[in-house]
Amino acid sequence: MQELIQQVVSGLASGGIFASLALALVLIYNAMGLVNFAQGEMAMFATFIAYTLISHGLNYFIAFPLTLGLAFVGGVLIERVVIRPVERAPVLTLVIVTLGLATLINGAAGFFFGYTPNYFSSPFSTHTVNILGAFASYQDLSVIAVSAVVLLAIFLLLQRTTIGLTLRAAAHHPEASRLLGIRVSWMLALGWGLASAVGAVSGIMVAPILLLEPNMMQTIIIYAFAAAVLGGIDSPLGAVVGGLIVGVTVNLVGAYVVGGDLELAVALAIIVGVLVLKPNGLFGRAAVRIV
Amino acid sequence: MSALLELEDVHCGYGQTSVLHGVTLAVPEGGIVSLLGANGAGKTTTLRAITGGVRWLGEIRFAGRSLRRMPTEDIVSLGISHVPEGRGILTELTVDENLKLGAHKRKDGAAVHKDYDRVFEYFPVLRDRRRLSASTLSGGEQQMLAVARAMLMKPRLMLLDEPSLGLAPLVVRSIFEIIRTINQTDHVAVLLVEQNARLALELSTDAYVLEVGRVAVSGKSADLQGQDSVRRSYLGY
Repeated sequence: MQELIQQVVSGLASGGIFASLALALVLIYNAMGLVNFAQGEMAMFATFIAYTLISHGLNYFIAFPLTLGLAFVGGVLIERVVIRPVERAPVLTLVIVTLGLATLINGAAGFFFGYTPNYFSSPFSTHTVNILGAFASYQDLSVIAVSAVVLLAIFLLLQRTTIGLTLRAAAHHPEASRLLGIRVSWMLALGWGLASAVGAVSGIMVAPILLLEPNMMQTIIIYAFAAAVLGGIDSPLGAVVGGLIVGVTVNLVGAYVVGGDLELAVALAIIVGVLVLKPNGLFGRAAVRIV
Repeated sequence: MSALLELEDVHCGYGQTSVLHGVTLAVPEGGIVSLLGANGAGKTTTLRAITGGVRWLGEIRFAGRSLRRMPTEDIVSLGISHVPEGRGILTELTVDENLKLGAHKRKDGAAVHKDYDRVFEYFPVLRDRRRLSASTLSGGEQQMLAVARAMLMKPRLMLLDEPSLGLAPLVVRSIFEIIRTINQTDHVAVLLVEQNARLALELSTDAYVLEVGRVAVSGKSADLQGQDSVRRSYLGY
């Protein structure tokens, strides 16, 4: 029983990481109906920036928000420079562009930072604390806490502020939004910036667990896809719930059923299963358009 | 004195298909003008040209200023609110959020507050449904929401695209009454596109009848109502 609780807690920690990256995917999907295949690589690059700042002596707790700010600016720039020229192109074109972007960022990271894995130290110790008879590491708990704070902040931004309201309006009804004076094109850039910052959180959280190198996010993005698909690709709440479910499921199935080597296969099974049985996911809107 | 909105020899179309072949019309400050005509005559396209939804040739001026190459967001900020075909309700959002979007660019907080009160006075049903998703509203209520939201933008000119479409006659009457009230108390000019020519002529002071992308007839609404030949050939009643 005690071990089960420990597995669940560490599953929730991975879940928080998946949820952040899945939320980043959902933010862009909502804004332009596009799955951003470069999301993981953008997060990895941001993590390298955080690593560089910290290794130059900057305090972790200053480097963290600073990196999120830089990631935001980077996301906005990518949208303006790379996506804007093909904004009205068919989705397939955009998908290919994001795939190219992923390769480009991956190569750039290798060029600037090298392919040698780096140990990214976390300020939170791996010591454990006893909670109700189960042991959880400070690191897992901090990951859960940071993810919760970030997800809550995004939720409040989207639901409680005027800028969030205009973001949602522009995402769902670009034409009607323009007639209300909303700068739809800038809302897209803002969406990319936010997604980039939220994704960066997942990278910085996962780096101490894995090792930091250019391919670090390539499995994490699969889990994030599973989380986003499970939650309903257009639902921010779904991304969070999906992330937690995927994290816990993968951890438990990995620990008790198939073993650690097949954990990624569990994520792929979730993606296929959801798409076959319930394509809209848990919280997604029905994929019906009124024309 | 020049008019608030002027269109001069406006041509436009979609791709290879041209829809407007030289439309000239004017909406005076504080006036109500109806734009009538059969399906496909170019009424909706005329409104879309004004708010930059389609590219056009010729000249469109609002308050003396050319709208050439201006993006929709900027045109709207000059004081034109456009209730488009299909009402432009954001059905994923609540009634309240839709209204908020109408006022989101305004800086005059106290006046916005007062306008909310007036909107709810005109359309009490919207106050009752504030927290509900806009998708749960009936067609008439959605039209009310669209007009209410347009009002909260504090425009000098409202473009209304077929506000009567698909609504029960009683609902249409009450919406038209409120349009008249808004026009009179706030001096908001209105350009009204309608299939229901009889109602539109009752409400408006001037009218234009479009026929395949050209103004076929224009004049005082009262005169057009009086001419049997015009009524029979163009207005169908």
